[in-house]
Amino acid sequence: MYRLVLITCVLSAPLVAAGIPSAVSQDQIYFARDKVLPALVHIQPVIQNYNTGELEKKAVVGSGVVFHSDGYVVTNYHVAGRADRIICTLPNKEIVDAKLVGGDPPTDIAVIKLDLKDHKDSIPVAEFGDSDSIQVGQFVLAMGSPLALSRSVSGGIISTRDRYFSPDVRLPSGERTGEFNLWIQTDAAINPGNSGGPLVDLSGRVIGINSRATFLANNLGYAIPINIVKEVVHAIMSDGKVTRSWIGVHCQALSELEDYFGMARDAGVLVSSIDPGSPAEAAALQAGDVILSVDGTPVSARFVEEVPAFYNLIARHRPGSVMRFSIQRGDRRLTLKVTTKELGELQGEDFECRDWGCTVKAITRQMQLENQLSDTSGVFVVGVKRASAAEDGGLRPGDVVDLINGTPIAGLGQFVETYNGFANSKVKRFLLTTKRGGSTRFVFLKVDRNESEATVE
Amino acid sequence: MTPPVAALLCMISVLPSLAAAQEFDFAQLERQARTFTVIIDMKLEMSFGIQTADHQERFLGTIVTEDGLVLFNGALLGENMGAMAAPFTVKTTPTRISVTTLDGHKYEAGYIGVDRFTQIGFIRIIGAENERFTPVQFRKERHFRAGEWVALYMLLPEFVSPPFAADIGMVSSVIESPEYFPLTVGFSPIQMTSVLFDEDLEPIGVLGALANPSRGSDAGGMLESFDQSAIPLLGVIVGERLEGLIAAPPVKGQPDRGWLGITLQALTEDMAEFWGLPVSEGIIVNDLVANSPAEQAGLKVADIIYQVNDQPVQVDKEEELPIFQRFIAEFGPDASIDLSILRRNAGVFDTLTLTAQLSKAPLAAAEAPTYDVAQLEFKVRELVFADLLFFKLAPNAIKGVVVSELKSGGLAELGGLELGDIIQRIGNTAVASTEEVRAAFESLAVEHPAEIVFFVWRSNQTLFVNVKTDWQ
Repeated sequence: MYRLVLITCVLSAPLVAAGIPSAVSQDQIYFARDKVLPALVHIQPVIQNYNTGELEKKAVVGSGVVFHSDGYVVTNYHVAGRADRIICTLPNKEIVDAKLVGGDPPTDIAVIKLDLKDHKDSIPVAEFGDSDSIQVGQFVLAMGSPLALSRSVSGGIISTRDRYFSPDVRLPSGERTGEFNLWIQTDAAINPGNSGGPLVDLSGRVIGINSRATFLANNLGYAIPINIVKEVVHAIMSDGKVTRSWIGVHCQALSELEDYFGMARDAGVLVSSIDPGSPAEAAALQAGDVILSVDGTPVSARFVEEVPAFYNLIARHRPGSVMRFSIQRGDRRLTLKVTTKELGELQGEDFECRDWGCTVKAITRQMQLENQLSDTSGVFVVGVKRASAAEDGGLRPGDVVDLINGTPIAGLGQFVETYNGFANSKVKRFLLTTKRGGSTRFVFLKVDRNESEATVE
Repeated sequence: MTPPVAALLCMISVLPSLAAAQEFDFAQLERQARTFTVIIDMKLEMSFGIQTADHQERFLGTIVTEDGLVLFNGALLGENMGAMAAPFTVKTTPTRISVTTLDGHKYEAGYIGVDRFTQIGFIRIIGAENERFTPVQFRKERHFRAGEWVALYMLLPEFVSPPFAADIGMVSSVIESPEYFPLTVGFSPIQMTSVLFDEDLEPIGVLGALANPSRGSDAGGMLESFDQSAIPLLGVIVGERLEGLIAAPPVKGQPDRGWLGITLQALTEDMAEFWGLPVSEGIIVNDLVANSPAEQAGLKVADIIYQVNDQPVQVDKEEELPIFQRFIAEFGPDASIDLSILRRNAGVFDTLTLTAQLSKAPLAAAEAPTYDVAQLEFKVRELVFADLLFFKLAPNAIKGVVVSELKSGGLAELGGLELGDIIQRIGNTAVASTEEVRAAFESLAVEHPAEIVFFVWRSNQTLFVNVKTDWQ
């Protein structure tokens, strides 16, 4: 009851608290509502979680909005990106299935397609607006299924247009998110279940996709700006994924360091760190270099809020592009050419080893860098199930499996093949050669298959 | 209260009423104990990284040499106190120590160090060069048996007078493995390092805890700590053991432990069977530190060490690894040891013997030299071997010093330095030791800049941190 009261209160509060000027009329709110609410989708995906050492399925609730008459819906990656089944409820309360079209963890965006074969009427579509022309103080509506309460609308204003969050915040599936975008902050009530729902302006256009909130706070909700969403959706619709360039450079705001580096204001982007083995390292870019221009266009990141746009500038290039960086290094000006590589997946594909009681995933280059691994060979242990052969043998999350009974494991494909080969044989003893924190370690697994099958069934 | 604790307390209350306890002449015991017992008052500076606090602690001390060497319970000062993560150690530094004998003489004392295995601490009385103290004489080569009675004198809290009380317990078992240890019942951890007497009123050792092999008493942070919450098994640290410690007390900051330079795991019975080995116990070499004694001896990754100086390595569980580490540590630096190993070669295991010349164990984080950057309200310490393991860094991958203390709300914290940052450059000066940090700040103190830019390594990335000074 307490939660219900809260939501009721919040719905009316911004109107009073924000002191809506007479220019915002009730009719405008109804207009915006009627443009988008019919395209709002209540999403119930069954998401897969491998973190506990076994494949766990969990039904969750999120929101989405239809943007294409063929039934395409945009939502958050953390809602539908890892779903194996998606059930949607349309505003007319009809229930339909949906399938994942593609997802993009760095921006936390996913596209799903509704199965409309039994749906006779055409489906209403919401229109995307322009998030570059929004203003702080502008009245907005948030629509979705807070705490699974479908077809809910809340109202408020844009609190800030350029909220920055460190990409160290990860999605439940492990990916860093937010490297390429800022957030629109709003005081329209956003609760769990609002994820993936639209943030709407009074002209009835979607200006953001609600995706985060600060809990135990008053009305701090965050939406991904629609202009970023449009790019991502376009890439997913045409390729099923977003392809980005990567050069392995990390940047830092210059504002407190301009004197130290002898730079004028709003001139340059400071390189703070270079990934080992990256294109930036190959091009001899160094920490402390200040990038003045890229392909002749001046760049700057005086404040942290400007850094995602610079990363996006690099990411937008086609992998394999040659980028020309004009840099300041001490007293010298240099031009360095960097050939980009594809960023690739942040996290690898998961696999459940039922007999062993653990889950593993393919190692991507980004995982290699984050975990200080020497290469991407082997498979990465995601989770170890309690009281399993893997736990008894001493396997731990973060270990990298390099060999199974002497068979080298180049990647997940070979791991699955080897694992399944043993699963169909009488072999019950496995000696895994693993890497933990750079050291080789042997893990011995004793699998009692009969017992394990009895437990599973 | 957990059931085992309740049971222990229960035993304590029951035991003194038993008839055998009456056979102790406690008056005589007290007279004897008074000759070598002292009260130690110690002022300690405890640093928790962002906070430093002063403490006053009182310990029971026992004079063990004529020239004033005193042992006490050093658990509070142990270097691996709470050191789960290498850069974030709790560091306890004695700043003033006084020793009071029971006939009322008061002396100053200097801190020496704590034995990492027994947690016995040592201090030395200073300014009494002409005096001859009466030390305790521990009986050696004594045969212990279960069921015999032992007694001690314990220190009571300061508000109680007189400050001592007798207690009695019983040898309950004579442990043979992982080490010789007469186990007792009837005593409690607050009585640690009290001198124990037998029924003949002979000092036979001090009360100590059996080093739990699952506790990470490792050499240089080679091993993660296992469960540390177990209730200690109390018993007698025997005379022979104490004699060794008294002859060469451990000195803080000067590790005298032997070191091989490997990361290791236990050879389990299952693995031995899987490989068809002739032994079922031993150590598997997981990794070798570059230029370490192990590497120089020719050890290789995956070698199995099954004997050291022809003694079998009795380790077949991960929890027993510290037994091996301690075994190596206690050879001391520069010792030459023969390692019998099995090495896999084309599916067959060859047997070979390698000789390793041990070296001095690397410093633990809490032993590393520090420098107080008082102007910016933080402290740095030298990068130690354990840091490399913790941060997963190759030796020499990074040179720098570690931010080990940071005053909350201080200039360094305001500027954005964080605990555990590895400072590589101060301004444009590369720093790799506390001495270089001192030199850098001495010249900065002349220049008085309004801000100082640090280049640091943090979470596998580098970045610049600008700290504003209050010089201008």
